[in-house]
Amino acid sequence: MWEHRCKVAVSGVGFSRVTRSAEVPLAAHALEAVQGAVADSGLAVSDIDGLATYPELPATGHAVVDGITIVSVNCMMAMLKLSNLSWHVQVETVNIGGAVQQAVNALLAGVCRYAVVWRAMHNPKGTYQNLPGTYAQGPSQFTAPYGFGGPGQGMAVAYTRWLERHGQDREKMATLAVTQRRHSHKNPHAYFCGQPLTREDYLNSRMVAYPFCLYDCDIPVQGAVAIVLTTADRARDLRPRPAYIAGYGQRLAFEVAGRIGSLSSYMEGGRSSSRLTWERSGLSPKDVDVAQIYDGFSASVIYGLESYGFCKEGEALDFIQEGRMELDGELPLNTFGGSLSTGRIHGLWHIIEGALQASGRAGERQVEDVNVSFVGASAPIVQGTTFIFVKEPY
Amino acid sequence: MTSLPRANILARVPEPRTGPDVTAMSDWSRVTRPIPVPNEWTKPFWEAAKRGVLALQRCQACKHFQHPPYATCVRCMATDLAFEPVSGAGTIYAYTIMYHAGDKRFAAAIPYASIIVEPDDAPGALLAANLLEAPYTEAKVGRRVEVVFQPLNDDFTLPQFRLARDTR
Repeated sequence: MWEHRCKVAVSGVGFSRVTRSAEVPLAAHALEAVQGAVADSGLAVSDIDGLATYPELPATGHAVVDGITIVSVNCMMAMLKLSNLSWHVQVETVNIGGAVQQAVNALLAGVCRYAVVWRAMHNPKGTYQNLPGTYAQGPSQFTAPYGFGGPGQGMAVAYTRWLERHGQDREKMATLAVTQRRHSHKNPHAYFCGQPLTREDYLNSRMVAYPFCLYDCDIPVQGAVAIVLTTADRARDLRPRPAYIAGYGQRLAFEVAGRIGSLSSYMEGGRSSSRLTWERSGLSPKDVDVAQIYDGFSASVIYGLESYGFCKEGEALDFIQEGRMELDGELPLNTFGGSLSTGRIHGLWHIIEGALQASGRAGERQVEDVNVSFVGASAPIVQGTTFIFVKEPY
Repeated sequence: MTSLPRANILARVPEPRTGPDVTAMSDWSRVTRPIPVPNEWTKPFWEAAKRGVLALQRCQACKHFQHPPYATCVRCMATDLAFEPVSGAGTIYAYTIMYHAGDKRFAAAIPYASIIVEPDDAPGALLAANLLEAPYTEAKVGRRVEVVFQPLNDDFTLPQFRLARDTR
């Protein structure tokens, strides 16, 4: 087990308003989320001395403008003018989960006391994946000439392999989309809060990239979320009950850039990340009371459930049936609505919900008797990270 | 060197819109495909394709084929890599049917099958392609396919795939 388990905790969490398109510069959303997280902790902004983010705009073919389409560490430093700032980082690999892990490390190293991590996401005007140019450079020279572009297709091809190798039926995925939407009705910050989605809606929706229909894809939005992380002893003195980080991991496998469609690469990414998390925490899938698993595209949840060890390969679509992912089910899943219902803000919202469930602060959607709360914060292969939050340190 | 595969070079017109289910044929005639930009690792692939040969990068130390090309052998880390012809026979490893064009220049072909092919001679190498000369509904994991060559312009020819002769 990890000697540093439960030494760092998530304290406050914050949310900006989530809109379909950009009405104000993205920096305003990021600031709103960060101020919300700091206030939730009962801290003042001037107490913050660590900053971390993953600022990437995952849309292609759009201008990257700091403060408008991304919010970098520099942008946040300029806004907050932190007199006590002592540490910051902007990560490149493994998405926002990597920024959270770096903040954990910085707190353990004692180079900051209260770190804020935010994820701000822009929804550009026009086509999200504006692909590509007249010429296909780099790895895309082997994919773009064939009409491949954007992460959805890469995940869709692996999904057909999964479906047909395991003799499975894509219609079973309706359960995921519909249940998550129902969960989101108890999450006032979610983009689709209050908008119903039925099984028939799912089955009748237009196809995007078979086997993905519209409701297998998260909706691009403009918004931001943020958390305050601090050491366990400091967290206990703050207003919210802490969610202790019992372990984390990151994907250790990576295939050559441009390799597309490999189902085994998703599985290896998820296995390597979760193996670290189980070993560090000393826990196993059967100990988990509630799980948040990244769902930018629905099939990510399948790869997550299987590669993290919650069920066997080929069984994930059966696993989520029969009420198993409901709030009172065997493994309540994506209890905040997931990206499919909150909108595309990447994995920090999954991390937030994992922490809220562990600390008993999830309100109407709180799962009963949670001690162990699991998070898979990104698609397992490309950017996968995993976390375990616990209510009681051990 | 093994004997070169027969070059199934297509004329620069789209495949005829005939067959078992014409309504499920994708219309490629109005699609403008992005043009590949070779680099030092990938140039031999495109040069071979222009000659009607499917050639993949092979480690000269452990004989492992890999695609896309890379600086080192992803199996044994050797740097002595060369392109060698493969037969062009393979199976559909995975596929998607595109109903939404991220690249608007593909809009006219919708719906169309983008497939991932695992060549018989190069297990583990995964090639993107379109399923040509067949309704997109014929794309299924495990189906046998064979390479055909689709000229893109005077400089570039795309390796593509169609259902294998004995399975059509």
